[in-house]
Amino acid sequence: MTTNGDAVKVVPVRHYGRWVAVCLAILVVAMVIHTLFSKLPTGHKVCHLVNGVRACRPGSTWRFSWTIVGQYFTTSEILHGLLTTIELTILAMIVGIVLGMTLAVMRLSPNRVLSMAAWTYTWFFRGTPVLVQLLVWYNIAILYPSLTLGIPFFNVTFIHFNTVTLFSAFTAAVVAFGLNEAAYMSEIARAGLIAVDEGQIEAATSLGMTRRQSLRYVVLPQAMRVIIPPTGNEVISMLKTTSLAGFVGVVELLGAASNIYSGNYEIMPLLLVASLWYLIVTTILSIGQFYLERHFAKGALRSPPPTPIQRVRQDVRGILLKFRTRRGVLEPLR
Amino acid sequence: MSQHMVEARAVHKSYNGIEVLKGVDLIVERGEVTCLIGPSGSGKSTLLRCINHLEKHDAGELRVEGELVGYQMRGGKLHERNDKQICGERSRIGMVFQRFNLFQHLTVLENITIGQVKVKNISTEAARAKARELLARVGLENKESHYPAQLSGGQQQRVAIARALAMEPKLMLFDEPTSALDPELVGEVLDVMKDLARSGMTMIVVTHEMNFAKEVANTVYFLDGGVIEESGHPREVLSAPRSERLRSFLSKVL
Repeated sequence: MTTNGDAVKVVPVRHYGRWVAVCLAILVVAMVIHTLFSKLPTGHKVCHLVNGVRACRPGSTWRFSWTIVGQYFTTSEILHGLLTTIELTILAMIVGIVLGMTLAVMRLSPNRVLSMAAWTYTWFFRGTPVLVQLLVWYNIAILYPSLTLGIPFFNVTFIHFNTVTLFSAFTAAVVAFGLNEAAYMSEIARAGLIAVDEGQIEAATSLGMTRRQSLRYVVLPQAMRVIIPPTGNEVISMLKTTSLAGFVGVVELLGAASNIYSGNYEIMPLLLVASLWYLIVTTILSIGQFYLERHFAKGALRSPPPTPIQRVRQDVRGILLKFRTRRGVLEPLR
Repeated sequence: MSQHMVEARAVHKSYNGIEVLKGVDLIVERGEVTCLIGPSGSGKSTLLRCINHLEKHDAGELRVEGELVGYQMRGGKLHERNDKQICGERSRIGMVFQRFNLFQHLTVLENITIGQVKVKNISTEAARAKARELLARVGLENKESHYPAQLSGGQQQRVAIARALAMEPKLMLFDEPTSALDPELVGEVLDVMKDLARSGMTMIVVTHEMNFAKEVANTVYFLDGGVIEESGHPREVLSAPRSERLRSFLSKVL
């Protein structure tokens, strides 16, 4: 756009409200950083000899006891707890996902008995607190002192277990968290399955695929796109739910931390140690989720979303471009 | 044993008590192109879907190559076929849908190979070779690694035709294959279908493209309200309609 052959200066809209919000956000961040690294008076004095003169000042220590945090961050007790937490999460999620998928397929079955059975399962396990379920599984030996696999009424026995030995605290936790998770996963999987267009199933059927084949090769891969984001959420939520296993004596991450602080009373630093580890694992899981989602988005989007690195590169290029065009000449942006 | 490719006698079908097909008779010979025309809701698509058993017909006799669709006559009783037998039958009948229904998560090439590999147990290499040959036939040889969402409607429908042809069907069903396309893309799909008709494929086409019917069809059936109102050679049916209903239908679509 030119007048008299000269370039016309372009004035972009000024977002005053946005600037105020940015200032406020920066202020909050500054406050958080400040308090994280602020100090508390200890109540007694710290004295030094400076040039033969004794100089004293009030003693202080990190409000968040960073030195103690660092001291305990990688102790073997904490790391063992972390490992137990990760094991519990993985095993419970495997139980949850496998059983949840099965329940979802049952729920969508044309057979009413199967679909009602799946509905009842979800109703029960979603309707009672997971902590109660954990305590029930841990104490299941009260109801069933021994477990027997056989044919009822005929005195036929295949396998026989002593419940107390079979249901250790750890097993009880895996079973409780896994079965509870299955109820939620079944709803997530069902949402994914019904989100796939009916035409896809018809096309698979018209090629001669059986119900099972069309589920496996056509419906499930497309349902994954809908299933993965909430499942990632569930994994992260499970990671933290496992801290309940402490109630039945499993020494997981939080349990390990509390074992330590019940001895030395450094409650806050050890809670901080546990929290930091939970944050680290959650971060790793989120990164994994991003790439998994990208993988299953194949074909759904014309171009896949950029990875964080690509996004940074784009942003930098954008800022440079803006800087170059700042001089006021209106150029077509590419 | 009957020599007709498809034979329907008094086929009935209802959904929740609403009768969609009220006794349809239809005969399709090998190598012929049959067009089903009629207003929406007249039962054309339902009839097509009954032929490959995507829908179960309620009453009447429906045979493909003399074999009952979905049932088997054994010892004087009609036994419903199991899933596997029905799937076997279906794999020999190709179907093309109004909304293409390409598998969104697979590339063009994978869309065409998956049925061959999983249903017909053909090796991946052989399936790929066949898929490339078919893509060349529908004029899309350079699109094999695209995803369906990256193609135009006309291109997607041509891939869908290639996908159906990959199963080497004896019969092809087209359910309004050009109704979801932009007008300028209709031609490329019809060209592929004309080419297919010339090659001797038996085709049943539900369509609103009267010119296609006139040019390619051996027989045209006009359905209205679940019954066949008129049928015959396209010249007679489309140019000299006998019934008032067909006359008014044609005046609206032509």
